[in-house]
Amino acid sequence: MKQHIRRRDFLRQAALVGGLAPSLLASGALALPRRALAPLVPGRKTKHVVLIAFSGGVRSRETFGTPDNVPSMLALAKEGVSFPRLKTSNLGHFGASMSIFTGISEPRGIRDNQRGPDPTVFEYLRKDLGLAQGEVWVTTSGGAQQTNYSYGLHPEYGARYGATILDGDGIFNAKFKTLLDEFGRPKPASEREAALVERLRRGISDGGRETGDEREALARVEKYILDELTRGTTGLSGANAGDAKALRLARNLLTIFKPRVVGVVLQNADVAHTSFNAYSEVVRRNDAAIGELMAAIRADDELRDSTAVFVLPEFGRDHDLNSRRGLDHGDGSDDLNYVHGVAWGPDFKRGRVVEDELRTIDVTPTICSLFGAEAKLAKGDVLRGLFA
Amino acid sequence: MSRTRPQSVAQEPRSAAAPALVLDTRRLRSLYLDLLGRPPFAAERDLWLGRGARELLDALLGSDAFWRHWFDEQLYYFMLIDNFRPEGEGVEAIAAGLSAGKLSVRDALHRIALLPSFDLRNPGADTFVTVVMEQLVGLTVQVARRELEIGKAAYDGRPGLFLGANASSQADVVRVAAQHKDSMRHFVAREYERVLGEPMERRALAAAARELHKDPRRYLDVLRGWLLSDGYAARLERGKELSNRLFVRALFVDLLGREPSDDEAETLRGALDGLGDSRPLRAVVVRMLLDSGRVPLPEKGAIADPTQWIAGEFRRLLGREAGPDELKEFVTVFHEPDCVPALIVQVLLADPAYHRY
Repeated sequence: MKQHIRRRDFLRQAALVGGLAPSLLASGALALPRRALAPLVPGRKTKHVVLIAFSGGVRSRETFGTPDNVPSMLALAKEGVSFPRLKTSNLGHFGASMSIFTGISEPRGIRDNQRGPDPTVFEYLRKDLGLAQGEVWVTTSGGAQQTNYSYGLHPEYGARYGATILDGDGIFNAKFKTLLDEFGRPKPASEREAALVERLRRGISDGGRETGDEREALARVEKYILDELTRGTTGLSGANAGDAKALRLARNLLTIFKPRVVGVVLQNADVAHTSFNAYSEVVRRNDAAIGELMAAIRADDELRDSTAVFVLPEFGRDHDLNSRRGLDHGDGSDDLNYVHGVAWGPDFKRGRVVEDELRTIDVTPTICSLFGAEAKLAKGDVLRGLFA
Repeated sequence: MSRTRPQSVAQEPRSAAAPALVLDTRRLRSLYLDLLGRPPFAAERDLWLGRGARELLDALLGSDAFWRHWFDEQLYYFMLIDNFRPEGEGVEAIAAGLSAGKLSVRDALHRIALLPSFDLRNPGADTFVTVVMEQLVGLTVQVARRELEIGKAAYDGRPGLFLGANASSQADVVRVAAQHKDSMRHFVAREYERVLGEPMERRALAAAARELHKDPRRYLDVLRGWLLSDGYAARLERGKELSNRLFVRALFVDLLGREPSDDEAETLRGALDGLGDSRPLRAVVVRMLLDSGRVPLPEKGAIADPTQWIAGEFRRLLGREAGPDELKEFVTVFHEPDCVPALIVQVLLADPAYHRY
């Protein structure tokens, strides 16, 4: 994607949008994630990771079993490592996707809207490596529930190490944009107004307010949202509209901020319950959107040779069609319990297929290992056969 | 619905004596938010401040606005609605039935799970039966696999003993779950946590669940007891996070003097729910309203006594008196040429205290 704004301008505007004092700007307290990041483990080349949970229930038959559906993922597999026998945690979409991010099989209710008890990969990385909030993002497509993936409730980790998480369809939809247009977009504050806001903030006596770093992070998200509303993400439509938005946001975040980690959680494939054809279409469209994300990575001088990408479904679907000629997920078949994942990156083998039975919960320990962090409570192992 | 004093587990504690239950700004705002999903309008504040909480509960509990708020909270719990609110005759009939006293809370929960929207949201036997077991009865399906399989068979028309009762259809699965003894226990536990902001003590939970299982029409009595309890007073002391839905409704009432339309409320809540930490977007929404020109704030020149006006805004928005140092600094800034009343309000709305109640 072409970058329309310079980082320096973005930073300055973000501070004014958030009503931050010019003194904070001058102090350097508002530093964006560093440019030209170094690898976190000596001898490794990986500086950035993109983890795509191709959730919603996707069988291997419709991905690598139907090559025409997934040319982008095939290209990734050709240049990376393919895992055709990843055992899943079949616990509903929410729990199974959560399992990928925690490295633990998570028994969560389908409509559960609570954070899990275990730390996520984002918390491990932020705590162990001292990463700033702005270096770990997650984009989702499944509404309020999926925002629970940003962090868990473990007392040693939790919110202070969470990822910044955005639901593409929840925010960047036509109704919200229309409402903003009807009321009118907020006006950027002048520097004098921002300074007054800062004085007033400091004038309130009780504690509990954000630190300068937190306010900077919040202001940056605020500015990003307002900008993104003008970039066309809102207009994405079709069977995979939610997923397309999550992938578009991931692409934009990656190219603008170049964060260490971007997680993406998809969901639209679950249309399979009522329509096999719509489900197949979602698989094809999502693969195309993953292709656009990869094209952006390949086109970026910094990201091209320093980014690792993981793509895997949270679980598959039933072996047979249901009475509505759709596909449910609950028959306990291999189609449901095993998925085909792929990993691509500068530290991984190329063109390798690992036939061993591995697990979706192995991804979190693998990413932590890649960056030199430790997924202390995860039950998975580092993926065998991945590293070059 | 009965408004008589309960002789039950819902009975008010002796320690919740009259002086503690006079409506101050904080208690009044919290009761309105908990019961109607919005803060009081200015006229309502004027009407109720200084009067008794019991009198207010008599007026609000069981009102149309109360049931509408309660019903919206239940719809969200059951369906995690994203940018849509189920509509149609069935939905309206449930809300109307509650208001008219024709439906109990158990009837309403049963009917929610029979709505076409619920079916659409939970397609297929596995998802549908799992959600019914989890959301209606509070079961963990991973440890109740056998019941899940029986329920799935019943959903597909094959008779079986599901949760101890005969079932041979999708409707039977819902009926059996709604009438199961653990259904009211699960309901009481989550309602207590929704209102009191903490888990209910086990024995009290068991007693309240037994009472509501026997007669679900006593829900209002049970709720009244909670709201007049020491537990609610403690919850007011520690504060509770304002959900995105309540934030939107509070903001419209506090700034525009009106409730948001369903469209406005759902659109904004949906957007705010799209962030793990909604603070940045809350700030956007605040400034969107303040900059819209629709907020009836006084012109700076028309504020004859800035100290009094600022103190009033502290009380109205943060539910407390401003300290002397706070007032001094705010008044000093107020007199700066670039300061306008909207800036004062913006800062108060950004304060963490506004986002708790």
